Amino acid sequence: MKNLINIFFASTIFISASFAGGPWTQKKGIGYFKLSEWWITYDKHYTDSGELDPNITSGIYNTSFYGEYGLSDRFTAILYAPLFSRSLYNNEVSGTTGDTVQPGEAVNSIGDVDVSFKYGLTASGAKFPISATLTLGLPTGITGKGERGTLQTGDGEFNQSIQIDAGTGFKIGKTNAYFSTFAGINNRTNGFSEEFKYGGEVGAGLFNQKLWLIARLNGVESFNNGSEESTGNTSIFADRAEYTSYGLEAAFYITKQFGISASFASAFRGKIIAAAPSYSVGVFLDLSK
Amino acid sequence: MKNLLFLFSIITLLFTSCIKDDINDDFVEPTIRITTTPDTIIVGSQFQFDFAYFNNVGQRENINPTWSSSNESLLMVDQSGLATAIVKGAVTITVSYTSAAVNTSESFEVNIGEVLVEVPTAKSGRIATTSSYVLEGDFEISEESGKLIISIAENYSASTSLPGLFVYLTNNISTTSNAYEIGAVETFSGAHTYEIDGIGINEYSHILYFCKPFNVKVGDGEIK
Repeated sequence: MKNLINIFFASTIFISASFAGGPWTQKKGIGYFKLSEWWITYDKHYTDSGELDPNITSGIYNTSFYGEYGLSDRFTAILYAPLFSRSLYNNEVSGTTGDTVQPGEAVNSIGDVDVSFKYGLTASGAKFPISATLTLGLPTGITGKGERGTLQTGDGEFNQSIQIDAGTGFKIGKTNAYFSTFAGINNRTNGFSEEFKYGGEVGAGLFNQKLWLIARLNGVESFNNGSEESTGNTSIFADRAEYTSYGLEAAFYITKQFGISASFASAFRGKIIAAAPSYSVGVFLDLSK
Repeated sequence: MKNLLFLFSIITLLFTSCIKDDINDDFVEPTIRITTTPDTIIVGSQFQFDFAYFNNVGQRENINPTWSSSNESLLMVDQSGLATAIVKGAVTITVSYTSAAVNTSESFEVNIGEVLVEVPTAKSGRIATTSSYVLEGDFEISEESGKLIISIAENYSASTSLPGLFVYLTNNISTTSNAYEIGAVETFSGAHTYEIDGIGINEYSHILYFCKPFNVKVGDGEIK
């Protein structure tokens, strides 16, 4: 169950990164920056058999910075930094006596930071761009906090992933649109299972590209090659979580470069993952415009 | 721009949510149990019977129960549970508690003879999952040398996917509150044993498995 939180952080990355992400690299000296609030609360989860079970209502709230910056036309540096992360679970109150029988708890800290480097495998301006991204996941968050040792704002392990993105832009009538897809392998330490990640999204820019609507489908499949200890020890996250999720995002340019966005994502199948939607709102600055 | 960032900061503060309440439907019928259950007590002697009362959330509570004997010419019992065996025979001891909201009692038959016979009591049950996680197996509980022995059978198996599976003894299977925590589950298949000091065989009605870190009930087994 602790892997839920891993997935939530992964979802955060997807949600934050995808609008500016895909196979497209930033031009040299150009960037995309986003400040967002992402949250999820859940009172049930998918179990290891993929069925739904209840749990104490828990929540995670991340205030994150996401930035892409073009080091060259084909080489982009990416930073995802949850500057403030709050993890909590509710009080358990007796329905018979009204007494609080198990008090809730919360912890606040910085979350796990991801540093990525994206390289354009095709020349800038290619009709079908392809890129490769190396992501280093740094365990800057905290784990094992609270009376039950389950409050955490990070996964407690270094991980590194390689991801290939491909996509293309096209028009639907006079409307600009794009499609992109990705697949990647996430190598995790501390006995965690490796993961295969995949996904895709389509987006369309309406009203002279002031409003972008984006639909996503993402998934994670576990190689189930982690150690037994990684599932039983509460001081580190369990692993072997899997899911397929869908999501929608709307991004609106208030000015030429500055805008606001809102999104949600939810898993419609999973193992060891929350059965609740996540939400995000944010402001962004797109210097490529 | 500044206004939007201010608005964003306010939204952020709003969503750094407070801890709220989850209501747990934890009502159970109050029960009273006789915790000293000898087979035979000695004629002409006294014997102290004890009881335990558990309220509507399974919490042990001090009360003043009513003790009675089915045949006071054979055995008399006062309201502290102190029994005086008068004549050889068999008699039923009853302890009961009645209040505005509670009416509970328990009885058992005791013999009056030449020697004190405290037959080791053994109970058993079957652990079954109440969740989607695998948990099953038979168990037996006995008292030996002042210890409570819980013997989990060879057919036991439990999911290893939970980050912190714990086992308890309880009188309320809806919560671990007021339960006796035996400890973290370290064996996930096959036979194993728990030995517990200071707990009587009649004190708890169920063995209970909870994922402690996430307060998720995984399964239970009634002690019969």
